Amino acid sequence: MMGGLGGPRQLLEAETSKPKNLSTTLARFGHYFGNYWVLAVLALLLIAGGTYTQVTAPELIGQAVDCYLFPQPSSCWYTTANISATVDARIAGLASLVGILVGLFIAGALLSGLAFYTMSWAGQKVLRRMREDLFDQIHRLSLGYYAENEVGNVMSRITSDTDTIQQALGFALLNVISGALLIVWIIIKMLQANLPFALLSLSVVPVMALATFYFSGQARKAFRKSRQQMGNVNAGLQESIAGAREVQAFNREDQSIEQFRLTNAANRDANIRAASFTTALNPVLEALGYVAIAIVVVVGGLSLLRNQPLLGTATISLGLVFTFLQYVQRFNQPIQQIAVLWTNVQSAIAGGERIFALLDIVSDVQDKPGATEMPPIQGEVTFVDVGAGYKQNQPVLHGISFSAEPGQTIAIVGPTGAGKTTIINLIPRFYDVTSGAVLIDGIDVRDVTAASLRRQIGLVLQDSFLFSDTVMSNIRYGRLDATDDEVIAAAKLASANTFIERLPQGYQTILGERGGGLSQGQRQLISIARAALANPRILILDEATSSVDTRTERLIQKAFDQLLEGRTSFVIAHRLSTIRNADQVFMLKDGVIVERGTHNELLALRGAYYDLYMSQFRREETEADEVPHNGVPAGALAGALRPGSV
Amino acid sequence: MQSSVRQQSLGGRRRRGPRAPRNGGLGRAIRYLGRQRRTAALAYGALVVATIAQLAVPQLVQNMIDAVQQGAIANLIFGQVPAPLQAAAAQRAGTTIDQLRLNQANAESLLINAALIIVAFAVLRGLFSFIQAFMAEKTSQGLAFDLRNEIFAKVQRLSFSYYDRNQTGQLMIRATDDVERVRLFIAQGLVLAAQAFLLLIAALIILFLTNWQLTLWILPLLPIAVVLFMVFGAISQPLFGEIQRRLSALNTILQENLAGIKVVKAFTREPYEVQRFDTAATSLMEQQLKVSRTFSFLFPLIFLIAQIGQAVVLYFGGRQIVGGTLDLGEYQKFSLYLIYVFFPLGQLGFIISLMAQAGASAGRIFEILDVKSEITDKSDAIVLPPIQGQVEFRDVSFRYFSSGEPVIQDVSFVAEPGQTVALLGATGSGKSTIINLIPRFYDASTGAVLIDGLDVRDVTLDSLRSQIGIVLQETNLFSGTIRDNIAFGRSDATDEQVIAAAKAAEVHDFVVSFPQGYDTPVGERGTTLSGGQKQRIAIARALLLDPHLLILDDSTSSVDLMTEARIQKALDNLMHGRTSFVIAQRISTVVNADLILVLDRGQIAARGTHEELIEQSSIYAEIYHSQLVGDVEVEMTEAAPV
Repeated sequence: MMGGLGGPRQLLEAETSKPKNLSTTLARFGHYFGNYWVLAVLALLLIAGGTYTQVTAPELIGQAVDCYLFPQPSSCWYTTANISATVDARIAGLASLVGILVGLFIAGALLSGLAFYTMSWAGQKVLRRMREDLFDQIHRLSLGYYAENEVGNVMSRITSDTDTIQQALGFALLNVISGALLIVWIIIKMLQANLPFALLSLSVVPVMALATFYFSGQARKAFRKSRQQMGNVNAGLQESIAGAREVQAFNREDQSIEQFRLTNAANRDANIRAASFTTALNPVLEALGYVAIAIVVVVGGLSLLRNQPLLGTATISLGLVFTFLQYVQRFNQPIQQIAVLWTNVQSAIAGGERIFALLDIVSDVQDKPGATEMPPIQGEVTFVDVGAGYKQNQPVLHGISFSAEPGQTIAIVGPTGAGKTTIINLIPRFYDVTSGAVLIDGIDVRDVTAASLRRQIGLVLQDSFLFSDTVMSNIRYGRLDATDDEVIAAAKLASANTFIERLPQGYQTILGERGGGLSQGQRQLISIARAALANPRILILDEATSSVDTRTERLIQKAFDQLLEGRTSFVIAHRLSTIRNADQVFMLKDGVIVERGTHNELLALRGAYYDLYMSQFRREETEADEVPHNGVPAGALAGALRPGSV
Repeated sequence: MQSSVRQQSLGGRRRRGPRAPRNGGLGRAIRYLGRQRRTAALAYGALVVATIAQLAVPQLVQNMIDAVQQGAIANLIFGQVPAPLQAAAAQRAGTTIDQLRLNQANAESLLINAALIIVAFAVLRGLFSFIQAFMAEKTSQGLAFDLRNEIFAKVQRLSFSYYDRNQTGQLMIRATDDVERVRLFIAQGLVLAAQAFLLLIAALIILFLTNWQLTLWILPLLPIAVVLFMVFGAISQPLFGEIQRRLSALNTILQENLAGIKVVKAFTREPYEVQRFDTAATSLMEQQLKVSRTFSFLFPLIFLIAQIGQAVVLYFGGRQIVGGTLDLGEYQKFSLYLIYVFFPLGQLGFIISLMAQAGASAGRIFEILDVKSEITDKSDAIVLPPIQGQVEFRDVSFRYFSSGEPVIQDVSFVAEPGQTVALLGATGSGKSTIINLIPRFYDASTGAVLIDGLDVRDVTLDSLRSQIGIVLQETNLFSGTIRDNIAFGRSDATDEQVIAAAKAAEVHDFVVSFPQGYDTPVGERGTTLSGGQKQRIAIARALLLDPHLLILDDSTSSVDLMTEARIQKALDNLMHGRTSFVIAQRISTVVNADLILVLDRGQIAARGTHEELIEQSSIYAEIYHSQLVGDVEVEMTEAAPV
């Protein structure tokens, strides 16, 4: 907001977009519809039937005029009638014709209803299939994809693209198809009935089409601008409401209000400009429609009055004038609808193009053809000269080699960006190495199926992700066939049982989005229980950095210790106690293991680990001293642990 | 059609709390039209002209057809009937030979004149319906502009307690969606309603005048159409709501799987998630199909009613024509006016749903606008003289609602100029409330807050707040450059002053490391900066004001230890020589404070210095051990004896 320097947020940049490669995208859509081709063909037939009734109705009305109301036997093909027929005979004839007309109307209603239903049936099935394919693809993509593409963007891409397709598949597609069909059909009918008369009557149609496409094109452009402005208004609002306390604290209300006023005015003006195009379209079409009526009656009427056929064609009857009048009045609506809805259809195709592009991404982590099941893991993990990186030419790890024996605990420490997370991501093969190999029990992880590998590896992440479901289901996520008792046992192991039982509905409490309602520490306890339930052979832990209260901290520590027992474990360590208990500590810097050994060995080196310890972990020592329960006077222990005195 | 569909989907997308909208909101919103008097008058004036032009067209078409028909009859009789029988034929056709000759002679000029008049009316109609639509849109945009400005201004000046009770998202919706809904009703709904009524009533009158017998035949169809529209409206709203519910369930699964992709993969739960998603996708599809079924039944049915109307007119009109009481032109006119009757009926259904939504929205908008700002300048408020720094709380209690539980109760203390006051206590013990009372973000319910002996309620808000520097717990930066953000409270600050503040707050070094330095734009809500950097900018922002009174809610939970140390240093710089109130989390802050207030459930449980309290207060000792974070004294450890 400030100074307007933030620039327009591309909130809705892709509102209306054009497909780049129309034919391929349509073919892909066609492929999806191919599964429901019976429905699709049926829908098209029904539309054609419905259009037929719409085209035929004006003819019947014309016949009513020519045969009964103002008999002109020459142009009456519906039945034979003559000028001297009795009044009763004419009324009876009229009645039967109106009966047919009503039947036709009913048939038309049925057909168009069925057409709409069939169309949306096929469309919805296609959409569901696309959604499911997308969802599968989400899981197939490697974590490398998510490192490069923000989850929020992927999410909004998928939802907004399926949404545009959803909108287009119902009314829009139906109306565009049936509208186009109706226009073409009417034109053919008119041309057949009387070519010169038809051409004259239709002379306004190109003007209508031109006006429509001009105004809707302009409006679309103007709306793009107004959407940007609306984005600015939203951003301004969002910022000022969220920051209202600051605005008041710094006496910025007046400036802030004035700034908003400007953004708001720009939005208003952009909207008014867009409106000048949208509001012009209807009146222009309507006026042209009246002109078309005038042309039909004047041309038809003059020909009739002078008894002169136009350019040597058949004479024009009064009934034909009526039919034409009905026809030209049926043009307006479809032309307008096509203009408006075509945009929808176009956006949908573009949305489909993006969806197909997402579906076409080949995951860089895939099971080899002929990959075998990972046999039960003993727990030996070996990195052989491993290099890895998320982007080309930007290696994160170089020449990492180590071996972890079954049951060992490996602590990985190092500054942010050193590559700690990358190392642990390679073990369950979330990424593939760019050089070297990761071996588990001597087997390259790329030679086994990802599922059989990951099933035997447990993971507790720093940011404990929970699903909006019950506590029970969240823990059971570790092993779907676990009984309630097993879940509770796992929760007990993770020291989570006590607080879970205090929740309003105990294990049946439904957790909010991202585990909301629980503290971060509690969320981590649940995710520890989840990992415990899975009973993995290899465990990967990312300790939370953010502070939790001391009690929970102790619980987590205890839970970790329980969980590590007897498993090969890799821990991105933030706690001194974890490091002290580890069998090996790897000090990572710029993607290289610079120091390795036990805590004490590394301290003695007085290298990078020593520096890190001094700036980060010493505080824990102090704090631990001050916690009264350990009974050691503050200072004494710290002194004892001070590296110099070791 | 499109707008109505979008409308409905919007209507369904929004799910709100059960708060009942107030009545009369729409009426008040309509009164805002007064500010757009000129454009509104133009819109409605044009509407009348446009509708009259529209109503004239069928009459003009009838004139043309009559001319053609009479000419044709004349031609027929003169051309095909043998001369002796012509008089009889004319009589049978209800006219005379002379009249026929006149008709035959005049037919062409009548026809052409009528056509020219139609074209003239077409232009008139087109022009005025454009003016009507454009002016209506302009009016409504102006109205939305006014409403948004008022909401924004109101929101900017609401007291903090309002924000405590309301979420940003909720307030946003009112200024965007709700305003848009009211605007739509006033741009489209109100004008459409006026037009529909005008057209419906005028067309019905014309139909009666033209041929009342025929009108009676189609009259029964009208209530059927109205009922159908109402049924349609009543049925479709909940259906759309259910679609939105299922869609959001589906999106939740999608969202969770994207955000938790690592967990899903780690536990190899793909098949389970896929099955969950398929179930949700199928359930959404079923609901969509349910809507389609309803639509594919109701839409054609409504359309059918109008068509049946035409068939009825054709039959009974045809009987009259055959009987000679109606001619063809009149029949055509009748069937055109009939469209004018059914068309507005269809619009009324749309208008009713617009109105219902707009009414609820207007209620929500005025709910905000009607909130009484509790915190305003007294009429005789004086300008606070430069603050010396003495702050006194005299028996202060505060409760959000007059009947609610007190958040703080009987709090009394005095802070002398230059002193540092540390506030300690569990979450919800009232620490934030106390510091928020000083710059008068809230008003005390009882008791008084005095600065240099002046009640904060007796001075102007501007003069009070401009002398108090505040660093809030949750730092909000605003889009703009880093410089803009540091100068947030003093836009007239010079570059030197900004840089001096930045240096004092340990901001300068990292700012100059950016390619654009102080001109680096800060993303929406400052996302391009780390938590620690944002917090230090917030400190620089407060420092630039050079306040005599400082309030710090110094949570540093989101930053790493090195940054924490730097922030601490910046804060120490800031506090020097100023009266400071600190919600403390660090041992050093507390140990060095001149006065520590230990709060428990809204009351001061203990007060004194660290030395006094550690001896006397068990609550203090407990808090000290469980809540306070030890300081990283980097310099000290670096110099630590080895």
